[in-house]
Amino acid sequence: MKNFKRFIVPVLVCAGILAGLGIFFYGQQKEGTNPDRFIQEKAALSRLIQNSSEIHRLWIEGEESREWGLIKAECLKHLGITEKFDESLLRCNPVLLQCHALFSKNLKYRMVGLEEFDNLPYRYLTKSNSSYRKLREVGVAMTIEDLQSKKRLDIFLEDQCQEVYLEERAYAYGEPVDIKDGDDFRFDNFNRHIYLDSHLVTNAEVNDWIRFGNDDFTRGLKEKTGNDLFLPATTLTYSQMENFCSFKGKQIMLAHFFDAATFLPMDLNEKIPKRNLRSPYYWTKKSSEYKSDCALIYSKDCLKKKPYQLNSIDPSWAGIRDSMGGVFEAFRNPIDPESNLKASSFYFDSKSSWHKLGFRAGWNGEGFDLRNFDFRGLNPFVAVDSFQVGFRCMREVMQ
Amino acid sequence: MRFHWLLPLFFLLACRPVMKKEMSGPELDFKLSEEWIYATELSGLKYNNEVITRPPGFEQLVMQLQLPEQGGLSFKKHCVYYVVPYKEKAGSLKVQELKNDSNCPDVSGDFPVFVSVQGVDQFKVSFNSFKLTMDFTLGKKPQKIEIPLPNIEAGLIHEKYRPLKEKSLVPGLKFLRLNEDTFDFASNKNLGKLSDRFSRGSAIRCHQVNKECETVGENRCDECRYGWYEVVDFQCAQGGSKFCGQNHCGEKNEPACPRGVKVVDPEDAGICQSDLEPVLNADKILVCQ
Repeated sequence: MKNFKRFIVPVLVCAGILAGLGIFFYGQQKEGTNPDRFIQEKAALSRLIQNSSEIHRLWIEGEESREWGLIKAECLKHLGITEKFDESLLRCNPVLLQCHALFSKNLKYRMVGLEEFDNLPYRYLTKSNSSYRKLREVGVAMTIEDLQSKKRLDIFLEDQCQEVYLEERAYAYGEPVDIKDGDDFRFDNFNRHIYLDSHLVTNAEVNDWIRFGNDDFTRGLKEKTGNDLFLPATTLTYSQMENFCSFKGKQIMLAHFFDAATFLPMDLNEKIPKRNLRSPYYWTKKSSEYKSDCALIYSKDCLKKKPYQLNSIDPSWAGIRDSMGGVFEAFRNPIDPESNLKASSFYFDSKSSWHKLGFRAGWNGEGFDLRNFDFRGLNPFVAVDSFQVGFRCMREVMQ
Repeated sequence: MRFHWLLPLFFLLACRPVMKKEMSGPELDFKLSEEWIYATELSGLKYNNEVITRPPGFEQLVMQLQLPEQGGLSFKKHCVYYVVPYKEKAGSLKVQELKNDSNCPDVSGDFPVFVSVQGVDQFKVSFNSFKLTMDFTLGKKPQKIEIPLPNIEAGLIHEKYRPLKEKSLVPGLKFLRLNEDTFDFASNKNLGKLSDRFSRGSAIRCHQVNKECETVGENRCDECRYGWYEVVDFQCAQGGSKFCGQNHCGEKNEPACPRGVKVVDPEDAGICQSDLEPVLNADKILVCQ
């Protein structure tokens, strides 16, 4: 009996250990190399890749996406937007993604909210706030999670669909000059790839600068909400405007490039005409064809007819919106620095001589009341405490 | 003899490497896909969609991929080596990871192995329409691995009136590897400060062109933190030297803005404010004074 005990106890212990280790190794092997597990993992990755393409489609299509039609009412209510705005501004706009994350139903993924930014599902990524290598463009970075597998993927949506390429050709700066008065100021952009913002910078874009930019340059600025989101940002000083554009790796619009994109070329096929003849109105080649039309210039008269909104008039030949009327627009003018303001605006009635391309007023860039502006003696007949000055950016791209 | 019961345990542990199976096709597919979807460059692809049959029995570098590290602040390389099977020598596929961005050696070295599989035959690889495809047999079973590479670009498309577009799998969509380091202001390695000015000598030159219109050194303008601007120097058709930072061209002691190459004489190639004149500085850059 004693011998039996001496024999059976080690055998049982040994068998137990063997069984335990067998189960452990088998389980580990199953976990580590089970092909089914990897097939499922790859399927989850493929779903995330597919979903990222869907989000990108939404990013590009904006107001034309089917998702916008489904979530529009809830989104506008959530954002506190009660007035009409140009919905093409929703293209390449993280506001739409924010609403998609909140209100789109039956999604197979979720956009991961960022606690430090009130659960916003994205960050605006630029070279000024991130050292991520080889990012050619600025844009929106977000994390999506596959609901089935909880697997995550970080995606980046490039913010470039609200820009237009300026064709390589000869242009002229400023108002037309008669030959007898001297040479026109001509320039060209051959071998240069110039991209211009098609619309004025919005408050929603400035909000992203405040959230994700360097605090040193945004101190004192307050985020705007509601109907202001899709209106132009008009309360920044000139240096803040410059810094906003720098945040995006761009520069504030140069006056001569604004002229290039707005004066209608007489012959689009002739890239280097002998003279750059031009009309002061972006919609016509004839100087005599001025029309008092709110679809062409949003002047003071239009305020009574329909509320002002961004992109209120037809685009210029190059695709620039709001090239006349609306709010003032500030430029950097490297030729005549004192002429840095598009005064054509809703502060002047439709008969005002300010409604001409290339004819600019001056702004000291520091404040918004009358004493900060130089209207060359053609002051507006309005009692305004604070004029609205918008801006847009431009950039050169290397190939 | 008191420890004779430990013998089976030693036996079991000794057998463990034998019990460990070779990597399966699905595992290889997932491991490579999960990593390579972030690839920003694919190079050295010598064979496009043809079965690699030579040299038999020897290892060769098939391709290399540049990948961002987690956080995106630096790059690593994946070097893909293949051995064509020969007689008793099994074919194999091995991916080694270089923790820097240097080129892969022609044969594998003493670097960490990311994946390695034996029994690979009939291996062919192709890269078309920004998708990498690998066809092969693994233990006589056919395998096909397809990996989309959305971060790889093949140039830009500039079209009048249109936004910028790049030639890539989904233009405008990229995959990133984000972590907290990605957004750390303090560790931003991009070039320049917002206060940098050409006139103060603080602007970083990111691209230099010499009088023969050749690029001198590396073009680093893509790394400028706040954008870049071009100056007028040697009137080269492809443009002049470039500096990082906020553009103040045309202003006092700042460079003249480029006026173009076709509508004005070379002496008028720079734009300065109307009260300033463009003057060549020591570096032959037109400066407004």
